[in-house]
Amino acid sequence: MRKTWTWVTILIGVVLMIIGYFGSAPWGAAGVRNSDPRFSFAPALFVVGVVIAFSAALVYELLPRRRR
Amino acid sequence: MATDVRSKEQLPQGVGRFSAGWKVFIALAFVVFAFGVFAYTRELSNGMVETGMRDVGTMGGATWGIYIAMVVYFIGVSFAGITVAALIRILRLEKLRSIARMAELLTVVSLILGALAIIVDLGQPVRGVINLFRYARPQSPFFGTFSLVIAGYLFASLVYLYLGGRRDAAVMAKYPGRLQWFHRWWAAGYEDTEEERERHHKSSFWMALAIVPLLIIAHSTLGFVFGLQVGRPGWYGTLQAPAFVALAGVSGIGHIVILSAIIRRVLRAEARITEAVFAWLGKILLLFLAVYVYFMSVELFTLLYATPEVEKRLSDALISGEYAWIYWGSVAVLVIPMAVLAWQALNRRWNVGLLVASGVLVNLGAIGKRYLIVVPSQTHGTLLPYEVGSYSPSWVEYGVVAGLFALGALLIGLFIKAFPVLPIDEGEEVMSRA
Repeated sequence: MRKTWTWVTILIGVVLMIIGYFGSAPWGAAGVRNSDPRFSFAPALFVVGVVIAFSAALVYELLPRRRR
Repeated sequence: MATDVRSKEQLPQGVGRFSAGWKVFIALAFVVFAFGVFAYTRELSNGMVETGMRDVGTMGGATWGIYIAMVVYFIGVSFAGITVAALIRILRLEKLRSIARMAELLTVVSLILGALAIIVDLGQPVRGVINLFRYARPQSPFFGTFSLVIAGYLFASLVYLYLGGRRDAAVMAKYPGRLQWFHRWWAAGYEDTEEERERHHKSSFWMALAIVPLLIIAHSTLGFVFGLQVGRPGWYGTLQAPAFVALAGVSGIGHIVILSAIIRRVLRAEARITEAVFAWLGKILLLFLAVYVYFMSVELFTLLYATPEVEKRLSDALISGEYAWIYWGSVAVLVIPMAVLAWQALNRRWNVGLLVASGVLVNLGAIGKRYLIVVPSQTHGTLLPYEVGSYSPSWVEYGVVAGLFALGALLIGLFIKAFPVLPIDEGEEVMSRA
């Protein structure tokens, strides 16, 4: 269960990074005028993704043992 | 149960005990920090006109001054701390284990100072930070500097420091006293079982593996902030990123040497921070210095050999003009320690005093080189037909920078009284219980 939650945390972080990156990078934009992020605070989402991905270490070590 | 009751006097490494010397140090650091805050309030209330920074070209100045030089310097210092800590874990360098936490602490503190140095450079800091998170573009090296260096790297370093300290926090939490709540919080239920040790071993190994490439990318990104600016002679170049990483290693390892010597003296930890540790640090510092001096020589020869007009103006200013004293001064305080370190390495005898002096000198050289990377290209490197400009920091800028250094000293000084800066070994724990 511990490993599962750790991988889930990493996955959430990576997904947020991908959404944040492509939300803020103007790939495919028609010109410089349309190069703003596709949605507000998309760059912040990327940063949150990086932070969540590294939080996986906290989840792995701090998650309490299952009670028997 | 009775054996678990420990008096406050038994806290290891002087934690929770405030000597007269420490109080004087903290008071001095606080006064300088308060002066820095006062200087910053002047800048905030009266605007950037309080600084020596002016528009490039039209006002003949530089929009990036000593603050940005310090951003690059502080983030550079952070490089070595977490690198050393990660390499200790990955390569199992047990000899250096005693300085691992100190190195991690140095990384966290210098990254905080680097982030603050960016904030003080902004005329409207709140607007700047909000807009960065709203509109930043991932292709920009600035974005990489904020997202990877300030956010990812700082957070990863904090997690690394926190998880690595849980075992010692659990030991400290057994001692009654004012800091017991803090140690209990840090330990977060850690019981030092075989399973927990194994788990920490795994997680710190994988974190170290993730951090090392991250920090190389992060520091290269900081180099790209300058190196990718095509229209700015002196900045545009392929050497910027690797040279940033090399000089980051020089300044960071220099700081670890200084901090290790101070902690060794204050805690009388000669048996823990041995001369072998300094020998390792000396060799690593020598390696980084040799690489950086090579880059510096290549840069110098390129500048001297048939440079185009604007580059010539810039190189003249650096080599024989108004920046020459900083340039040659920085070269001297980088080359002399390299010679001293090489001499010690050849003789296989390391003198701690000489190492500390080398650490101080290379950091002065690093500050000088960071200043020269940032400023002259703006005052002397413009491609538009403007007159040559000038920049000299105002007292407000010097005050803020002094305040940042004092804040760093305060954070480290307070940390060592709240938590053991050297990992508690089994023997030390038993002695404390006795």
